[in-house]
Amino acid sequence: MEQISKDFSELSTQLTGMALDLEEEMRQSKEDKLDLSPQTCRRDSVLSGKEEEDVTMDAWRMHQKHVFVLSEAGKPVYSRYGSEEALSSTMGVMMALVSFLEAEKNAIRSIHADGYKVVFVRRSPLVLVAVARTQQSEQEIAHELLYIYYQILSLLTWTQLNHIFQQKQNYDLRRLLAGSERITDNLLDLMARDPSFLMGAVRCLPMAAGVRDAVSASLQQARAKSLVFSILLSRNQLVSLVRKKDQFLHPIDLHLLFNLISSSSSFREGEAWTPICLPKFNSSGFFHAHISYLEQETDLCLLLVSTDREDFFTVSDCKRRFQERLRKRGVYHALQEALRTPFYSISQVGIPDLRHFIYKSKSSGLFTSPEIEAPYVSEEEKERLLGLYQYLHSRAHNSSHPLKNIYFTGPNENLLAWVTSAFELYVCYSPLGTKAGAISTVNKLMKWIRKEEDRLFILTPQTY
Amino acid sequence: MSGPRVDAKVVLLGKEYVGKTSLVERYVHQRFLVGPYQNTIGAAFVAKVIAVGDRAVTLGIWDTAGSERYEAMSRIYYRGARAAIVCYDLTDGSSFERAKFWVNELQTFEENCRIYLCGTKSDLLEEDRRRRGVDFHDVQDYADEIKAELFETSSKTGQSVDELFQKVAEDYVRFTAFQLMTEEKGGIDLSQKSSPYFYSCCHH
Repeated sequence: MEQISKDFSELSTQLTGMALDLEEEMRQSKEDKLDLSPQTCRRDSVLSGKEEEDVTMDAWRMHQKHVFVLSEAGKPVYSRYGSEEALSSTMGVMMALVSFLEAEKNAIRSIHADGYKVVFVRRSPLVLVAVARTQQSEQEIAHELLYIYYQILSLLTWTQLNHIFQQKQNYDLRRLLAGSERITDNLLDLMARDPSFLMGAVRCLPMAAGVRDAVSASLQQARAKSLVFSILLSRNQLVSLVRKKDQFLHPIDLHLLFNLISSSSSFREGEAWTPICLPKFNSSGFFHAHISYLEQETDLCLLLVSTDREDFFTVSDCKRRFQERLRKRGVYHALQEALRTPFYSISQVGIPDLRHFIYKSKSSGLFTSPEIEAPYVSEEEKERLLGLYQYLHSRAHNSSHPLKNIYFTGPNENLLAWVTSAFELYVCYSPLGTKAGAISTVNKLMKWIRKEEDRLFILTPQTY
Repeated sequence: MSGPRVDAKVVLLGKEYVGKTSLVERYVHQRFLVGPYQNTIGAAFVAKVIAVGDRAVTLGIWDTAGSERYEAMSRIYYRGARAAIVCYDLTDGSSFERAKFWVNELQTFEENCRIYLCGTKSDLLEEDRRRRGVDFHDVQDYADEIKAELFETSSKTGQSVDELFQKVAEDYVRFTAFQLMTEEKGGIDLSQKSSPYFYSCCHH
């Protein structure tokens, strides 16, 4: 185990000059704002469902993480905060930076200055930039930017995106992405508080194995020729997933689907039928997804992914058959019951100093984690805890110097990380415990997880 | 994609934010949801049974997304539609231009689809006449030219919403009955044994 006492805020300050230029540009974008008629501004903010912030205000500059997407022609595509128009000169400077270094057959990856990290991800024809004050590593921020890139692909496909810019280099991509800002915003918010993205895994809704098996069998029986994946979920937690033989759903694709559903209340009305690209599965084409809630008042959402866009009524009938099977098997009630307790308490484990943990099973791509309890009550505290996990994760997975075991002693808690070829475990203890105590209780925790695994994970995945 | 449980496929088309979803919401659930704007993703399907005289007609209503992103896909939603409700926002002139685009699409690809022009958000005009962005007579002329019905609705107050869908269902009944009588068939299809049209007079 390695003792770490690194000051988080200590960051290298190379390229400070450039970063200052960038800030100067952000300030100058004030003039651009004046060019806009208030009418357009208001309409845009209505359509995206959010109030556009004034980019000249301090509040705008104080955000933890800015994310910008631009085209290679330097045209704004997306900004997390503030309207894209007001930021067009800033984005122009970003593109100039990228191009300048590329002209020298080089690539800019990040700028570290004054507590900020400016991270660049280049995925032609797009450039993604984050300006972050978080404690994440450069790789983790780049990883999040990649998620945003995949999010855009899921709406357009890689093929269409490239085709558009081959036809017209200075195309305004916001035209095609109109209305999707909410989905991207939601993804960024989710990444800041949900460890799924950090773990690259999906969380299951805890329930008795018998109930889950019955649900999976019902889902498996309600198949159709064109179906590739049938997924039942509740509030970003997986209940069951049935897939076509030999077809696998990448966690990133699953996260994008979860995010799509959680970012829109419009699926609660009727049955949605929408084209969707699963970029990790196949970035060149669309699937068609049938999305509907099982009942008006529940959070149970059924997602049926089909290869045939003409197959709506066949797929819709699969839903009806699934619900019929659920009732016949008499598991509807048990399922509703499981929804009532979507999280378990850490106290169930029975280790006094234990506050929280994340356990990821690598083979299944699933993870489990108890409810975050006191003292991590406020949103800031929750994000701080996730930040600590992020830090441990980045140390464990550092490409030049990976670590298998980490013990971290902080002022408010002690943490332990343990990475093997089969699993990853991150544990949070009260600050009063000792390293020896932590190590001895880790085995007890592992035993508890093994005892509960058929409730916390999907052990017998189904195929059609 | 007309489906077995549906008599008439009805599709809603129009620019984003004109209120297609609100129109369906008012008609199907008799409510008007106030809150931040939620754009439709892809399209949403809902079936609704409506009475025309003593007949029950099931309308399969497709509420499509207005975003340009789905434009290339839109044909799968309006293909085979018996009626299209093409919506525009009475306070937004550009939305009427977009409505004309959809009318052209329908005239090119779906000759047999009846068109209903629907100006939305009429309650905003009640509040302030000057907010009208689309002239009534211009639209009326256009409607006559393309042989479309014209409605001005408010999903907030419910004004003319039921009337619009009632008209869609009545026209469906009227025109299908007409079609059945005039359609020239090459011969009798023996597999259609259950058809009451052929057996009603001599079976009992």
